[in-house]
Order: sequence, then C-alpha cells, then structure tokens
Amino acid sequence: MNNLREVWSKRFVYYINELQKYMKYIVSGHIAIVFVFVIGAAGYSYSEWLKTAPLDFPVFLLVAFLLSLTITISTPVTLMKNADSVYFLPLETKLDEYFKPALKWTYFSTVFVSALVFVVSIPMLTKLSGLIKNEILFLFLLILVLKYWSMQVEYSYRFAESGKFVWVDRFVRFVLLFIGLFFLLTGSYVLAIAIAFICVMYLVVWKKKMKEVAFPFDHFINVEQSRMMRFYRFANYFTDVPHIRGMTKRRKLLNFVYKFVPYKQQNAQLYLVLRTFIRTDDYFYLWVRLTALAMLGAIFIPMPIVAIIFTGALAFATVIQLKHALLSGFEFRMDLLFPIDSNARLLAVEKLLRMFQFVQVVFVLIGIIIQGQFTLLMLLVPVIVLVVSELTLRISK
Amino acid sequence: MTVLEVNNVTGGYTRKPVLHDLSFSIGKGELVGIIGLNGAGKSTTIKHVIGTMNATKGEILLNGKTLKEDPALYRSSFSYIPETPVLYDELTLLEHMQLTAMAYNLEESIFKVRLESLLKEFRMEKRLNWFPTHFSKGMRQKIMIMCAFLVSPSLYIIDEPFVGLDPLGIQSLLNQMQARKEEGASVLMSTHILATAEKYCDRILLLHNGKIRAQGTMEDLRAAFQMPNATLDDLYIEMTKEQQNEQFA
Repeated sequence: MNNLREVWSKRFVYYINELQKYMKYIVSGHIAIVFVFVIGAAGYSYSEWLKTAPLDFPVFLLVAFLLSLTITISTPVTLMKNADSVYFLPLETKLDEYFKPALKWTYFSTVFVSALVFVVSIPMLTKLSGLIKNEILFLFLLILVLKYWSMQVEYSYRFAESGKFVWVDRFVRFVLLFIGLFFLLTGSYVLAIAIAFICVMYLVVWKKKMKEVAFPFDHFINVEQSRMMRFYRFANYFTDVPHIRGMTKRRKLLNFVYKFVPYKQQNAQLYLVLRTFIRTDDYFYLWVRLTALAMLGAIFIPMPIVAIIFTGALAFATVIQLKHALLSGFEFRMDLLFPIDSNARLLAVEKLLRMFQFVQVVFVLIGIIIQGQFTLLMLLVPVIVLVVSELTLRISK
Repeated sequence: MTVLEVNNVTGGYTRKPVLHDLSFSIGKGELVGIIGLNGAGKSTTIKHVIGTMNATKGEILLNGKTLKEDPALYRSSFSYIPETPVLYDELTLLEHMQLTAMAYNLEESIFKVRLESLLKEFRMEKRLNWFPTHFSKGMRQKIMIMCAFLVSPSLYIIDEPFVGLDPLGIQSLLNQMQARKEEGASVLMSTHILATAEKYCDRILLLHNGKIRAQGTMEDLRAAFQMPNATLDDLYIEMTKEQQNEQFA
C-alpha cells in the first residue's frame, strides 16, 4: 500500500470503531453516573459561588493558568504501529501525506478541551472582570490559533529531538502562553505582542531543526502505544479489554502479607493469586481507590443512611470487579496443568477477597472513628460492607 | 512398561481434524523424539497429551489412566516445557520455582536441595529475585526448564526446547534429560534440531499431515524409507519431497 493517506484513513476508521466500542461500556458504567453527579454538583456550586464571589478574585490569573495548561498538552495522535518502522521506512519522504491528516485529527480532538475551559470561564470573565462580547469572541478565536501553534511546536520538537526532554519544551510553551494570555487579559498589549513574536520564532526554530534529522519512528510509536494503553487501561475499569497487559511492581512493603500463606499444596493457588493481586497495578490500585473512597465516605458523609448506601455500593463494586478480573483470562497459564483441584483458583480468589474486604472494613471503621459519630446507624456501616462483600462473593459467578 | 499410550487419537482446533487416528506409545525410561514439518501436528499432539485440547476420538492414557478418570494422578505424572516460555510477570524466579514445588506437593527440604542444584546447573543463582520482564528469551526458557525438572514425574513433555538457549544451556538440558532417563523417567520431545534428536532419542516419530509416517529407532526409519546409512536429515528431506510430490500430483 503506497498511498499513505489511504493507510491513515483505514486506521482512522478502525480507531474510531475501537473508541466507540469501549465508550459504550464507559458511558453506561457506574463511574459515569458518579461523574454526572459530580459535574452537576460542581456546576451548581460554581453558579452559587459566582453570585457571591469577591470582586478582587484573581480571575485573569486563574483563566490564564487553566487555558495555558490545556493548550500546552498537545500529544500528537499518530495511530502508528510497531511495524511502521519497517514498512514506512522506504516512504520516509512521503510521510507528510500521513501526518497531515494525523495532525488535523490531533488538533480537532484536543482543541475542544481548551474551548470547554474557556466556555466555562465566560460567566466568570463577564461577571467579575467585565469583559464584553467582542473581547470574548476575540479570545475564543485566539485560543483556536494558540492551540494550533502549540500542537505544531510539540510535533516539531518531538520530531527534532526524538521526544527527549519534551517536558522542557512543554514548560517553555506553558510559560509563554501563561505570560502572554495574562498580558492580553490585563490590557498590556505591547508586551502580549512581544510574547506572540517569541512564540512564532520558537516554532520557526523547531521547524527548521526538524528538517535536519530523520524521522524518529521509535519515539512516535512509543508515544502512540502508551496513549492507546492509557485508553485501554481506563476502559478496562468498565469492561474486559483483551489488549491490556497489566503493569506489575514488586511493592516490597507488602511482602509481609505473603507470610500468611504457608508452604503446602493446598495453598498453591492462593500463593499465586495473592502475588498477582498485590503486584498488578490494575487490581491493586482498584482496591486502593475504592477503599479510600469508602473511608472518605465514612468520614465526610453526615447522614448514616447515605453513608451505608455509599460504602455498600463500593464494597459491591470492589468485590465484583476484582473477582471477575482475577478469574477471567483466556491465555494459557502453567497453573492450568497443576495437579490440584480445578476449583482451587476460585476458592483462592474468594479467600483473598475476604481478607482484603476485611481490611477495607478496618479502614471504614477508622473513618467512622475520625468522624466521631458513634450512633447505632453509623456503626451499621462496616457491618453492611462486610455483608455486601460476602453476598457479592457468593452470588456472583 | 508403558508410560504414555496414545490410542487412535483424532483431534484438532476446529471440526477439521489436525491429527488423524494417531497411535503411539512411550515406555519407561525412553526418550522419544517427535519430528515433522511446520503444521505436521507436533504441538497439537502435545496439547492433547497435556490435556489442553480434547480428542474427538480415541484416548490417551498416562500411567494407565485417562485425564478424566483421575485428573490429579494424570497431571502429577508429567511436567511440560512449552515452546514459548509462559511465565507470570508478577512472580520472581524463586517464586516460580516455589509455586511449582507447592503445586506438585514437593517437600520443602527436597525443594531447597533441588533448587540449589538446578540454579547451579543453569547458572541462574544470582537472578533468584528477578522478575521475568528483566530476563532474555533464553533465560525465560531456563525458568521453564528448571520448573519442569524441579518435580520428578514419570514423563517429561518438551516442545522445541533448544530454540533461544545458549550452547551451555542446551548441554545442561541434555544432561538433565539424560539423568532423569537413568532414574527411569520418560521424555517426549518435539524438535527441529535433527542432529541432536538423532544422537539422543531412543526412538523417533516422524509425523506428517497428522499421521505417523514412520516410527522407531534410526535403523527402523532407514528401513522404512529404504535408505540405508541415511541420517535423520536425509530422511526428513525425503519426507519433504514426498509432500511436494503429493502437492504437485
């Protein structure tokens, strides 16, 4: 396939399908419902706050900061694959055909974040700082231009330097954007134009440097792979993603836990499952996150009934997701050949989850002690966590 | 005494079988090589023996029992080294060994003695607490081999063991196989390294299109192909020619 534009189009269609496939699960998942509540609550408090906000609130600083941050981060979406370093090599001079649509997509898929931040800031800018309609419109158009500039610089920089110290480039762009936007908002137009000039020169320098080097395939392929991995990992909280390979860490601090599993044949699966759970980031952090949330709920939710529902729901989510994750998997593993009971894995997973749900209860109890409200209903919270965990374990497949 | 008996096995991945009415057996203390072209059915045969694939027809007996009759006995009667290492990213080398020892009910004191000698044999003493992500292909293969030889079953099933191993590793593996053989264990080994197979195997199964084209000692094979003085390489090439002739016919 010599036409690189066609290669891009094919990959793009596949990519969009892939996004859609997983978005379905994400949108219908329980975290999405939490998001809706959080966004609703945040929106309401924001509008309430605007009514009483002090006039000396540093609106320009805040807006310049948020906009600069979202404009700065412009990781290119290239959809490149491992094999490209071999198959694209003879087409190196024609790579533009591929990257023009890629950068176009990068632009449109990321510019909306900055635009959204700006739109949310509009009430603050008009109410507290008295910006008029034309100024708002001008700023909006400027943000579209700045995002394009930022994206072009990041791409050229990564190209020229194979992505080394990309954080330095990002810091430079952030500072330029922040200072420039702040000058503009506060009416120091001459200084803002001076910054704009530096911005243009900064881009020109990297565009020039980029022409002196060969295309850094490895870097762009790595960037793309870790980007897709982040998406798959996120989607994995909602459904099973076959592409995902969990990252593992030793977590030496928890080595003492392994002592609870003595050396004997009946413990072989528990020996394995315990290490899989503690050392696989996905599983372990899922438990840590939900346990932390349950504890925070116990501390900050004043109404016991709400606290019971909240922690109960989290206990359910913890057990059902971890049980599913630890028992699924289609790949061949050596323990499938072990001369042990075929039920051993299930029993080990249940034992492990009982252990860790007990620890979750302990954290919830600590939360209640911190809150200091020792009513009968509040003390029911840990009991509910235990009961829900056990029931989920027994009833779920 | 027969350790492994494969009787009229037909099976494969889909409805279309890869193995056709396959029969062979392995006696106590025998090292049997299974040789064939890519796609001949070597790995499929092995998968049927270890029980990850089920035969649509026929039966496989290990120490006189099928997997269904006595799963624990069947599974503890063999250990398996797969073609590509299958390791747990979250377990260190030591933990892989310990897990295997636990699963096969090895006494802890025996485990420690065997572990030490295997680590020495495969020169892995210094890597006990490493995770597999830090190992090369050859080292990963060594972990699989050490796990397999940690336990002493009656049958070792080894799929393409030499790929990725350095020459010293190959020698250590052959030493281990020889030692276990002398203790009365049997080995079923699939390989493409024909010179090694010819030198070490007591009997060879030549697999072709899911059927056994010829089997026996080198002498038996030479007779079957009517090629006296032929090496295993010659016989193998002869079999390839037969396949080509079939294709053009």
